[in-house]
Amino acid sequence: MTTKQLSIQRYLPEQGSAPYWQDFDIPFDDSTSILDALNYVKEELDGSLSYRWSCRMAICGSCGVMVNNTPKLGCKSFLREYEGPVKIAPLAHFPVEKDLIIDMEPFLDHLAAVQPYLINDSGLINGSGESEETFKQTPEQMEKYKQFAGCINCGLCYSACPQFGLNPEFLGPAALTLAHRYNLDSRDQGKKQRMPQMNREEGVWSCTFVGFCSEVCPKNVDPAAAVNQGKVESAKDMLIGIFKG
Amino acid sequence: MRKSTSDNIKRSDEPIWWGLFSAGGVCFAVFVPAAILFIALLIPAGIMAPEALSFERAESMIFSLPGLIFIGVVVCLPLFHAAHRIRHGLHDLKLGKEQLNKIVTYGSAALLSALALVGFVIGIM
Repeated sequence: MTTKQLSIQRYLPEQGSAPYWQDFDIPFDDSTSILDALNYVKEELDGSLSYRWSCRMAICGSCGVMVNNTPKLGCKSFLREYEGPVKIAPLAHFPVEKDLIIDMEPFLDHLAAVQPYLINDSGLINGSGESEETFKQTPEQMEKYKQFAGCINCGLCYSACPQFGLNPEFLGPAALTLAHRYNLDSRDQGKKQRMPQMNREEGVWSCTFVGFCSEVCPKNVDPAAAVNQGKVESAKDMLIGIFKG
Repeated sequence: MRKSTSDNIKRSDEPIWWGLFSAGGVCFAVFVPAAILFIALLIPAGIMAPEALSFERAESMIFSLPGLIFIGVVVCLPLFHAAHRIRHGLHDLKLGKEQLNKIVTYGSAALLSALALVGFVIGIM
């Protein structure tokens, strides 16, 4: 079995303040993912390595890392795709807690800010918070937002976004995509509550349409399209506001 | 979690600049190349007769309503498009201050547009 050199950025705040690189030789074949390689390091070479992972099949969104400076899901990229040594670092633009573990809190705050859930008070049974029947939707109505509903909150798009790197207050691709996804949902009535967040300088308007978010998205959600459709919505919202006074 | 903080969230003025940027982008892509093709290539290369843009003809064309539209789509809107790109380029390079960059870039675009329009007004008088 051939081996490949893996350089992993280590950061152990209780042992030293500066991150450093550590090299490992990993035996691999065509089926060895980056996550498999990290698991091999942890089990066979150095048990002190810390990283997040869970499902191994691009559903949980936990194992995002920088592979040769590009944000990737560890479970969805494979050593066979890389020639020469492979550099693994924690996701860019996030505070690093330890080794490959980043602090997702800023990202989760941004997600919560856009209220990414169905807002619809119609048909509620008095006081119960439950509705009499489920909301109905045609396949055509679902098609409008389906593309933007595939987000697994992995954060790769935030690592890819140079504007989020420049200004961490920017709501960012995933949050704005989810806002747009619920605004497009025929069952939802919360657009009015979400628009002020999108209209902010740190809302859709911090995006300069670099488009790298859509390139790195492991679920082909195309956040760049959603954010730029959000710009049209925000511009319309401003115009309507002017006419309504 | 239904907070009504929406009232004190400041709306960005970016839709105005983005609207001018978008309109200017269309002009840059469609009308500016056509203008360059005729004025800077076809006529100097002799493919089109130079009389097509003789002084009298050019003067009567530019100082008319179509001429005003020409100035708008070939000068003013592309200026705002370029100003927007320069402003965001400066932001990406971390140069200058956001508010100052805005004033300088859009101010220049507005000034040059005004200059073109003043020229137009003088021409029709």
